[in-house]
Amino acid sequence: MTERVAIVGVAQTRFAPKRPDVNYGEMAYEVISRVLQDTGLALPDDIDNAISCSHDIWDGQTISDIGITDVIGGHLRAEEKMAMDGSTAVFYGAVGILSGEYSCSLLMAHTKMSQTNRNIVNNVAFDPIYTRMLGFDYTSAAALQARRYMYKYGITREDAARVVVKNLANAKRNPFAWQSGDLTVADVLSSPAVAPPLHKLDIAPDTDGAVALILASEERARKITDKPVWILGIGTCYDAHYLGDRDLSGVFALEKAAARAYAMAGIKNPRRSVDLAEVSDDFSYQELLWLEGLGFCDRGEGGRYTASGATALGGKLPVNPSGGVLSGVPANVAGLNRVAEAVLQLRGEAGDRQVRGANIAVAQGHSGFCGQHQCVVVLGN
Amino acid sequence: MKRNVAIIGGGQTYHAARRHDVDEPEMVNEAVRAALKDARMTIDEIDLVILGNMEFFEGTHMTDCWLVHGMGAYGKQGLKITTGGTVGATAVCAAAHHVASGLFDKVLCIGFEKQEEGDTGAILSGVANPLWGRSMAGAAVGYFAMMGSSYMAAWGAKEEHSAMVAVKARQNARRNKYAHLKLDITIEDALNSRMLAWPIRMLDMCPASNGACAMILADEKTAKSRSKKPVWIRATDTAHNEQFELDWRDVKTNRLIFSRACAGRLYRKLGITDPAKYFDVFEVYEPATWAELIWYEDLGLCGPGEGFRLIEQGRTNIDGPIPVNPSGGVLSTNCIGASAMLRVWEAALQIRGDAGEHQVPKDVRRALTTGYGGTNWTVMTALSKTLDD
Amino acid sequence: MATKDKEWISIPMTVDVPYRFAAGSYMTKCLTELRDSGKIYAVECPKCKRVQLPPRVVCAECHVKNERWVELPHEGTLVGFTIMYLPLTDPTTGKPHEPPFVYGSVRLDGATSVLDHMVEVEPDMDKVWVGMRCRLVLRPKDERIGDLSDIRYFEPLPGQKKPQS
Repeated sequence: MTERVAIVGVAQTRFAPKRPDVNYGEMAYEVISRVLQDTGLALPDDIDNAISCSHDIWDGQTISDIGITDVIGGHLRAEEKMAMDGSTAVFYGAVGILSGEYSCSLLMAHTKMSQTNRNIVNNVAFDPIYTRMLGFDYTSAAALQARRYMYKYGITREDAARVVVKNLANAKRNPFAWQSGDLTVADVLSSPAVAPPLHKLDIAPDTDGAVALILASEERARKITDKPVWILGIGTCYDAHYLGDRDLSGVFALEKAAARAYAMAGIKNPRRSVDLAEVSDDFSYQELLWLEGLGFCDRGEGGRYTASGATALGGKLPVNPSGGVLSGVPANVAGLNRVAEAVLQLRGEAGDRQVRGANIAVAQGHSGFCGQHQCVVVLGN
Repeated sequence: MKRNVAIIGGGQTYHAARRHDVDEPEMVNEAVRAALKDARMTIDEIDLVILGNMEFFEGTHMTDCWLVHGMGAYGKQGLKITTGGTVGATAVCAAAHHVASGLFDKVLCIGFEKQEEGDTGAILSGVANPLWGRSMAGAAVGYFAMMGSSYMAAWGAKEEHSAMVAVKARQNARRNKYAHLKLDITIEDALNSRMLAWPIRMLDMCPASNGACAMILADEKTAKSRSKKPVWIRATDTAHNEQFELDWRDVKTNRLIFSRACAGRLYRKLGITDPAKYFDVFEVYEPATWAELIWYEDLGLCGPGEGFRLIEQGRTNIDGPIPVNPSGGVLSTNCIGASAMLRVWEAALQIRGDAGEHQVPKDVRRALTTGYGGTNWTVMTALSKTLDD
Repeated sequence: MATKDKEWISIPMTVDVPYRFAAGSYMTKCLTELRDSGKIYAVECPKCKRVQLPPRVVCAECHVKNERWVELPHEGTLVGFTIMYLPLTDPTTGKPHEPPFVYGSVRLDGATSVLDHMVEVEPDMDKVWVGMRCRLVLRPKDERIGDLSDIRYFEPLPGQKKPQS
């Protein structure tokens, strides 16, 4: 990149299984007002445009950014909604600043999973003619992906369970997380079966919450903060839709998205350059798969790599020191939360979950079932 | 924007109420292929794909994921945007930003809706807040009915004036081979059409169409080397509106509203004060006849309360001094996710001189387009024939 | 490819997604007051003083938090209306409203916002006009449930006639 874009502020709600006290606009206001306060910026003058991430079908409102226009400063101003995972908002926000059209952008993702039924919402993401009537949802599709990945590379349920044990232990150190604990591999294995090989603890729980983040051009960023976190690389990629068209044990889209992001960041060897990663572990085994796709270990090595302790908080490449999505982060918010957590790490503000000496971080998010669309963001301080 | 951006190709489907011969990916693919052919390009050259669509209208979550092959996005970078009726224009802005950023040289943007696959009225009522107004929401018809009654009460316009807009749109559409409602109608036909919500009659409203539009945007170097007739995007602007105050139908309001705020900013970017003289053609997003009259006023083509005089005098006809919607507009074709992009594409065709039978009979060098959606939002785009225009 | 005899398959499907919406803190106060005391509460922006109904957390124009509550009277003025001839689907029930009916925007006295609702008046252009004074009719107290349907409709104040223009 010839010019640089910085993240100058982040705010997250405390995540919870259900927020009966707020509607989604009020929930969004919690993080928007906090990120503005933290950065000392004010609407309308300091913010050029707003980008939100959510889905009409989760929100139960047609054109659902209507419900957040007031609180995000959209009145008579530029506001756009993307129906993608929140990580892609960072991609799109950075593009807007690099285009020269904007110099300071407010991003926000929100979802209240508690207000509807996850299985039905997920089912509607399957094409209506060929696969929807099979009753698929993201969990059952993920079970196919998990089974295929395990079969091809000899990954075991224990390998995946170690991700849950690590992440929920990390989550104990994260005041925003709601699901945490000192679990054993046996606890994960013996949790109720949902769609074998996936059991209850292998699956991210339904959660309500929001994340907001402010991007700025280099010139603006220098004035706003003395701890800017730079967006070094961004990349996205679509895989095929139909499960039968994809290599489910593969990481086609993630590898491409990562290659694009690494190339932009000038990273030749992510194993050497990257200090920590926040990945979207919607399901336990996905963390293993995504580690491979991001090039942190060889294909099929995700299980052994994790078992070696490399991805633990004190390991060579801590992964999800926040506790990840398994600790309770809503759909669509997940990727923006990954970026926000990486930013806190690079600013040295991650509290008890801080990774020491973190200079380069990778955040990853995905949209669609089994990670059809992938987005990778490389950040540096 | 840091780099100049041009439209170097585009295409659309034949728009219709029924398209049982294609599923959604196939329909989108028709527009994508047409755009690639127009740009003399293959999908391999495209760096990034943007989709604009509103998922509730088809009852499918994440249409971009399902349509990935129809869009040509497999293995490529991309994203989906959803901003209501404006989304097609937002997708164009997004594509322009991607090119201007310097990260991408050739970006494909697509807007589509297959309205027959969902219940449009109920979905538009779903725009209302679930706890405040949704149970008795009047969909789009009720909203534009109040706008019409307010306009007539405020300015003394008659139902005949809205009928004139209805006739102009459908007669223009007869010259546009892609349009949905190509109706040979008269003022009397419009005034005698079925009453939906006084004063809105059937012919005062847009249809529910199926269709798609796709455009390819590129940087200056690519545009100049690859395209004989690039059309330049000179400025864009977006203005959304607060959730509960729907001032557009309150025609005498003194508050600054979205349409005027957006036009004001766009004109400042271009440094112009007389848009009626500056632009040679307009493509505006008019879901109902009355909205077109109010666009005339809010865009500054005439003073407040004078919009109905423009149509009465024929000034906005295809051969008039201020041609508005020579394509037939949204009143003749409304495939929601595509409608705002169609405004931009139709304006580009006018500048290229490629609009065929609905080509405006004068030298067209500059055009202005508007989108409309949400609870009163717009995205405006100014286009020109050369970078000197 | 397509010929007149060609058969096209299309698959009927109902996408039925259930929701339970949290009203949030502002609307909870508004709806409980409506249900329990029959009162209409709005918020007033501390800066521009716009009295906003429904109440909401932020004044979109001033970007400040709304904190002052204002009780509104039940009477107001019709500022726009239409006679609906379409059986529009009520998305909260999936059932249509039976046409024709009058649907209007009423500005309660003292409010900046308008409230859209049914107007209980004959669907006749001589019986309804912009400027007509109206009042709210609520459900009887023991039938109120705490949503907007606790307002049944607006009715014209008695003794008015459409002004001759």
